[in-house]
Amino acid sequence: MSGSGAVTGGGKDIVGEILDRYGRQKGMLIPMMQDLQKERGYLPREDLVDLAERLGVPLSQVYHVATFYASFSLAPRGRHNITLCVGTVCYLKGAGAIADAIRKEFEVQPGGTSPDHMFTFSPVNCVGACALAPVMVVDDKYYGGMTVETALKTLRDIAAGTPADNKAAG
Amino acid sequence: MPTINIDGKDFHAETGETILEAARRNGFWIPTLCHHPALSEQASCRLCLVELDRGGWSQMVTSCCYPIRRDIKVRINSEAAVSARRGVMELLLARCPESPELRELARKMNVEGTPYPKVTEAQRNCVLCGLCVRVCAERIGRSAIGFAGRGVNRSVAAPFRMPSKDCIGCGACAAVCPVGTIKLRIHETEIEVSPFKSRMAIRRCSACGAPMSGEPHMKQLEEKTPAAKEYVGLCPDCRRKKSAAAFVPVGSKPVVPR
Repeated sequence: MSGSGAVTGGGKDIVGEILDRYGRQKGMLIPMMQDLQKERGYLPREDLVDLAERLGVPLSQVYHVATFYASFSLAPRGRHNITLCVGTVCYLKGAGAIADAIRKEFEVQPGGTSPDHMFTFSPVNCVGACALAPVMVVDDKYYGGMTVETALKTLRDIAAGTPADNKAAG
Repeated sequence: MPTINIDGKDFHAETGETILEAARRNGFWIPTLCHHPALSEQASCRLCLVELDRGGWSQMVTSCCYPIRRDIKVRINSEAAVSARRGVMELLLARCPESPELRELARKMNVEGTPYPKVTEAQRNCVLCGLCVRVCAERIGRSAIGFAGRGVNRSVAAPFRMPSKDCIGCGACAAVCPVGTIKLRIHETEIEVSPFKSRMAIRRCSACGAPMSGEPHMKQLEEKTPAAKEYVGLCPDCRRKKSAAAFVPVGSKPVVPR
């Protein structure tokens, strides 16, 4: 079984590289999983099996960690992550309507990924930027003062590969 | 040697022993679910709560993992302690409404039912005591099962909720489960650890054919006890017969016990 996960990454032994990066220390399991998720976009099962085996940590423990933290995903994610704030302030300023519009436009359920694997949509309770309400975060970039129209336009541009300027700058 | 005062009476205690150990040794009964003498403490069931006197105020502590280091005073049967444990039991009953073992324990604690709504199917019948997870890791050394999820979605599961490659079918998890949720199912040729879905070939007693355990488990036993190899493949009954036969002098008439 050892090394079987290495084949899937276009010949590159990603798990091996990550293991070496942290000196193969069991205590560094979480940073390793974070790196793996960054490289792969999610945590593929065969990579986790490979990682557990080569690190000498029970697979059940790796699965425990992977399911405990909300930031880890066992299912493939879209190319872009949309985080929409639906906290009190954003909600009052229309985040609910934006959420509905995103859901319809890109056929994506909250917490899910669109059928074309373009977007993963996660409504969250607050991103701590109430002054920018309603605020949407796409791939760690903040877009403030959104309306249904500007939000959809921003996402369409990102999908088309021409991301709009960061409206929240300044 | 510290002294522990339980419900107004003084008892000697060993330094470092837990309140639960000292109490049980002196004839007090404290209900427990997640405690097992062969395993590390997790204090997850909260059923062994007792009231620790802090001089002027008191605190609820889990007696299973509270070590006695100096003279302490605890109350096991005070109104506060009893009602704290009752509250915990009511919550556990809501999780595990069908378990006869849990109902029996509740009855012993004079808890008749639960005012709480029953939980959903996915969380049903497991109190998350973690005994199965600990026995598999600490005693069997396989870690085939573990916790998954968090908060209300926490559960005990094999990795990816699929049959685990690490399971050897020893049945230790089923043996320690205090609410009878984990079960070993004996099929024609296979043994199944339910609800973890692992299935493996069954080993039967080489003399009488009684079902014994999973094949991987028996192989592990044979490897670990090479000296007693001819005994490992026998069920407890046949093992006893074999040992007894060794003591009977050759040619003597067997004594039939009455």
